[in-house]
Amino acid sequence: MNSKMLLYIGKRIVLAIFTIWVVITVTFFVMHAVPGGPFVGEKATTPAVQAAMEAKYGLDKPLMVQYGTYLKDIVTKFDFGPSLKQRGRMVIDIISDGMRTSMKLGLLAAISSAIVGIVLGAIAALRRNKLIDRIVMVLTTAFVSMPSFIMGSLLLVLFAIKLQLLPANGSTSAGLVLPIVTLALYPMAYITRLTRSSMLDVLGQDYIRTARAKGVSGPRIIFGHALKNSLIPVLTYFGPMLAYIVTGSLVVEQIFAVPGIGRAFVSSITNRDYPMIMGTTIILAALIVIMNLVTDILYKVVDPRITLE
Amino acid sequence: MKLKKLAAILVALAIVCSLAACGKTPGNKPEEPGTDTRAINVCLASEPDTIDPALNSAVDGATMLAHLFSGLAKWAQDDSGKLVIVPDAAQELTEGVENEDGTVTYTYTLRDGMKWSDGKDVTAGDFAFAWQRAASTSLAADYGYMFEVVDGYEAIWETDDQENYVNPDAKLNVKAVDDKTLEVTLANAVPYWNELLAFPTYFPVREDVVANEAWATDPATYVCNGLYKMKAWEHNSLITIEKNENHPDAAEVTMDTINFYLSDDANNQLSNFKNGDWALIDDVPTNEIETLKKEYPDEFFNVGQIGTYYVCWNVNENILPEGSNLTGVEAENAKAEIRKAVSLLLDRNYIIDSIAQGGQIPASSFVAMGMTDADGSEFYKNTGVSDQFVGYFDASAEALEANFASAMETLKKYYDFDEATGKLTNFPSLVYLYNTNEGHKAIGEYIQSALANVGIPMSMENQEWATFLNTRKAGDYSVARNGWVADYNDPICFLDMWVTASGNNDIQFGKGDHADVAAYSLDLTPYGYDIKVEEGTWAETYDVLISTIKSCTDNTVRYKLMHVAEDMLMATGCITPIYYYTDLYMLDSSVQGFFSNPLGYKYFMYCTYKAG
Repeated sequence: MNSKMLLYIGKRIVLAIFTIWVVITVTFFVMHAVPGGPFVGEKATTPAVQAAMEAKYGLDKPLMVQYGTYLKDIVTKFDFGPSLKQRGRMVIDIISDGMRTSMKLGLLAAISSAIVGIVLGAIAALRRNKLIDRIVMVLTTAFVSMPSFIMGSLLLVLFAIKLQLLPANGSTSAGLVLPIVTLALYPMAYITRLTRSSMLDVLGQDYIRTARAKGVSGPRIIFGHALKNSLIPVLTYFGPMLAYIVTGSLVVEQIFAVPGIGRAFVSSITNRDYPMIMGTTIILAALIVIMNLVTDILYKVVDPRITLE
Repeated sequence: MKLKKLAAILVALAIVCSLAACGKTPGNKPEEPGTDTRAINVCLASEPDTIDPALNSAVDGATMLAHLFSGLAKWAQDDSGKLVIVPDAAQELTEGVENEDGTVTYTYTLRDGMKWSDGKDVTAGDFAFAWQRAASTSLAADYGYMFEVVDGYEAIWETDDQENYVNPDAKLNVKAVDDKTLEVTLANAVPYWNELLAFPTYFPVREDVVANEAWATDPATYVCNGLYKMKAWEHNSLITIEKNENHPDAAEVTMDTINFYLSDDANNQLSNFKNGDWALIDDVPTNEIETLKKEYPDEFFNVGQIGTYYVCWNVNENILPEGSNLTGVEAENAKAEIRKAVSLLLDRNYIIDSIAQGGQIPASSFVAMGMTDADGSEFYKNTGVSDQFVGYFDASAEALEANFASAMETLKKYYDFDEATGKLTNFPSLVYLYNTNEGHKAIGEYIQSALANVGIPMSMENQEWATFLNTRKAGDYSVARNGWVADYNDPICFLDMWVTASGNNDIQFGKGDHADVAAYSLDLTPYGYDIKVEEGTWAETYDVLISTIKSCTDNTVRYKLMHVAEDMLMATGCITPIYYYTDLYMLDSSVQGFFSNPLGYKYFMYCTYKAG
């Protein structure tokens, strides 16, 4: 790794920290500007109880003071504070519980979608316009255009209710199969199509023809030359996709009642659970920023022609 | 051809990999229902906010707490299946002794053999500690006000002008005489005291346990004294409780393990019920109700719940036509008459049969069906103005035409009416505020069309839940969707929320311009009180009436006063009742021994499965 690259990574990290600071600041003030509060319910507590609660969590202090305290706690202690809604639990614990499930789900979905997608894409490209190509194309078009709430509901009805092969709730490990498949189908289809078109493009390149002319064997052409070069667009897609998929899909988590971070994020906003909103936003923002950075660095590794500025 | 072979290998590889990916999740199979006859899977709601008895204010949390804790009293079914309050940790539910100053002292003796789940004895001191804690300003619990009947509560929460507590050392008048004897003094006798003792806020906790603020979030630190103890809690996913063999009543428990699955998605709950994984679900998708009633006639349940769905009017909203010369008391009385007339335009049976579809009951009063009166009859049946119907107007389908005619007659007195179109022409625009939800929206749209039919323009505005609560509370609306479910079986739950200072006074009685409107009278002389107000403000009448009720010790008079309060409330027309709530749930037909109480708590401890 040369110094130019280190400098680039350093610059990107500074930029990432700045981005996260902006996210913190904007979220903090917007969140407090939204009407409603964490201690509001259908049945109102007395003003005295409200005041006592606010004092307990420091919400009675001026907003700038709260902001300052919050930033200080994050930077010096990595302390996200207690949840205002789930009394007695710390935000960081709730997030790590949710992230563990979402990560497991997301990683399995991402890996299986990449493997299946690349393989199917390569086959389709190699068997261009043959029956198998047609089938793959029709199926992937369907999967790409079908929103996950429909796909999830279909799978649920078929496998959980009609056939009763798998449970309908994601609280057990067996229950994670359906959400993983639902999550994986869209990126799988997308990667298949990307790989296919990119592979077709590469297969028409001069160096492939040269290799063929020199008598290099079919599999070597595909694995040694074509596949590697056709993976760059897939990589571009894969990085950010991974970030989104592991940060939790609200829709899929909702359909299958998976205790992931997506659900926690949305309910924290509905509940005006301020420390929870901040915590989830920061962690999700950090993940996306980091994944983008990793992807950019990986380009360089895959394709030396790309220069990092 | 080589490529073909390669393709075949790749496909095989892909299948293996994707299977492996799935298989990586180590499999503990979902429990098949029926295989374990001593365990039941149920789903009430999503992760409870808390299952600390003092902090809980939700029905699902209360259900769990009713299994995990033994208070002095509990809900139970008698031999005929009727719900009764019986002693639990107390040997008996004693009568109170009235003191000279009007306060009432109750002395309870704890049963022998009551133990905490970690083996220590339950003492009277644990109860005294738990109650002091629940009512304290430092805990600031939502339901701390449940102790307002206990002597000393008011002193604890009394503040000066700067909102500082005047008596920081004040305590509830409750003490442990010895390890077995608990003595509590109430400010005055309350008829629902035994029911309060069965309420989770009154359950005991132990000082050394709750010293850890996170005690109620982890099975390892969750020490309880009920029929069950906590076994496992996967947050946002599953709470498992198992029978507490140390409890004196453990032999009566037939269900060893209860799995509370945590999901708030009605569709997901239904999927799990349909495939047999969950035996009870507490929510069903609204648009499936009709189908479910037909497909699962033995498993779809619809039981009464003491709550009312209603529309509230902002008392300060001007609904008189432009240029109206009515002012002050006259204007207030006119507005009340108009609001009541508008209420008569609505077809509540249509709302229930075609929109809500949950078997709700049309409401013609605010205090809900299910509340009992002084003589044990139903409170709502004794309200209102006529022997011909129940409540403040006739909500039956047959009365619809007559209601409409009388409403139009009233409205024509105040507004211009165009005979050709059959519509009022100068009714000011209303805005219907509701929180984002398909069901509330559909009901709002029906009201909109019913009013448009007679020329009353109304637009719809929806807000997200927390924003909605804020707006409604602040009174920034003209008409809003509302609902109220009581905390305990006493009509005061529906009545004390409308005093001027109440945090639930969404109608804004006695606030803003209404503070000076002297349009109300109150005459309590027939009930033996020296209170008679004519043309008083809301604060001078209603607020006085509610505090009189709260200090009234004669049960018969007390209930009569509550009828007076509801009459006053309904006379303002600010409450347009729509229906009385019902609790919908689905219960597997193989389950026996299940019961629930009017507050919606569900009891699984005595459940068994039918053989075969």
